[in-house]
Amino acid sequence: MTRGLVWILVTLLALAQPAPASAYLKFGYKIGEQTVDVKWPTGPVRYYVNDRDVPGVTAADFRAAVERAAATWQAVPETSLSFDFQGFTAANPNALDGRNTLGFLDRPDLDRVLGATSLLLDAATGQIVEADVFFNTRFPWSVSASGEAGRVDLESVALHELGHLVGLGHSAIGETERTATGGRRVLGSGAVMFPIALTPGATADRVLQADDMAGVADLYSLDSQRGDTGSIRGRVVKNGRGVFGAHVVAFNPATGTLIGGFTLNDNGDFVIAGLAAGPHIVRAEPLDDADIDSFLSGNVDVDFRVAYAPRMAVAPTGGSSASVEIPVVPK
Amino acid sequence: MRALLTGATCLALCVNGWGRPVAAQDREDAPSLRRNHVAISGGLNLAGGYPIGDATADLRGNGLGGSPPSFTLFRAESSVEAAAGGELRVGFGLSRNVAIEVGVGYSSPDIRTALSQDAEADAITIDAEQLAQYVIDVGATWQLPRPVIAGRVRPFVTGGAGYLRQLYDERTLVETGRIYYLGGGVRAWLRGGDGRRRSLGIRSDVRATWRQDGVEFEETTRLWPSVTAMIFWEP
Repeated sequence: MTRGLVWILVTLLALAQPAPASAYLKFGYKIGEQTVDVKWPTGPVRYYVNDRDVPGVTAADFRAAVERAAATWQAVPETSLSFDFQGFTAANPNALDGRNTLGFLDRPDLDRVLGATSLLLDAATGQIVEADVFFNTRFPWSVSASGEAGRVDLESVALHELGHLVGLGHSAIGETERTATGGRRVLGSGAVMFPIALTPGATADRVLQADDMAGVADLYSLDSQRGDTGSIRGRVVKNGRGVFGAHVVAFNPATGTLIGGFTLNDNGDFVIAGLAAGPHIVRAEPLDDADIDSFLSGNVDVDFRVAYAPRMAVAPTGGSSASVEIPVVPK
Repeated sequence: MRALLTGATCLALCVNGWGRPVAAQDREDAPSLRRNHVAISGGLNLAGGYPIGDATADLRGNGLGGSPPSFTLFRAESSVEAAAGGELRVGFGLSRNVAIEVGVGYSSPDIRTALSQDAEADAITIDAEQLAQYVIDVGATWQLPRPVIAGRVRPFVTGGAGYLRQLYDERTLVETGRIYYLGGGVRAWLRGGDGRRRSLGIRSDVRATWRQDGVEFEETTRLWPSVTAMIFWEP
């Protein structure tokens, strides 16, 4: 049987531009009328590492950094995700060769992109068949344990890219400010999967946040654990009509965790899954000062003010809350 | 003038009564519980509010190294609001002054959350949730041996412990905890009270209640006051 394959190029981590908000997002692939999660089939994700050295990072350093990042994803509790290093390769991470390859590439044309992940999907199932990740040699990289000022932490970026490699999109949990050069600087982020990197020299993004873990658990949760978390569903409305592309974040005051989602249709509906049981404060905000294309495509409505749900939403164990409506007003 | 005099006289007598031994005749006349009989009390309970936790929605800050200062997205301060509810207690007189009792209570307090420090939104307070709260407790009362205020009013002290069950509005999630209380109150007999006949009266308790677990956003014990007004009947 022949199967169709689809390339998806996921560009990640523009060097200096973020946005305000919060949420994990899964890649989806439309098969007929149904959208399925883009994910790996059961079993370890086998990968190769390019054997090229770059200034400051040997191939062995690179492998070690990627292994640490893979181990971090693999350590997310109650998930079945695992990785398996297969060896070094001379192949570049942009070849359709049936191998998942990570390595450096010189991409002067992408002068704001630290790294990118490409996925090859089975068009019949939406499952990932091959994935490659490149890291742009246009940037100075570091594998120092404590980070190096002015150099981008390789492990942090690898952790982000591996998130894409397993099927996660960008999270919008983060706040940014405009810089004098017109770019954006991260003030704070609530997810490693936030599209804009921390400042060069920062190593905090070697550690996953709750939003990241909820996202990967949603994709690779062990069947026996699926009932341990709950979800919140609701709708963001403006002048009585649904808002598409609103970023909605659920805050659990008992655990201090933030987990986000988006309204993904014109009715303004959202679902945030993977929540610890309990009451959550729900906040909606527009994707108004980030590159919207790094989150969603379509006619995203950003003309509304930040608003909170008028009451807490309770995520029950193994179920979903009653629908929470968040009214927003235009700016 | 007369009222003042009467009040002053009463106060003097009461203080004097507490300060010296009373005659056996006084104790005989003082109303008391019916030994080996059941007493049923029911009425209203007004519980005070209490905080259930402050929490800050922090984002990972942007700075060199692995632990830069965090960035606050917003802050939430939550409390359980004061609420009135119903209470029913069934006691058993072990002696004329000591009773053990089992109580059940129901109330539906609101959780209120104040949201602040949001760089993009004004501070607001949301009526976060309404709880359905049930309490089952076991306690004891000890009636002080002397009447106060008037001959048919007797004070008591009380204490006990119980089980707390709190359901969120949609009744999809339950939180449980334990409560402990200490307090006191008065019983005023309207009828009976000689320890032999049926009796009827009113009772009011003031309690301090400690709670462990239940709806709570921090790992800590909470304290709140409550007042009850009940009718009691000893069949």
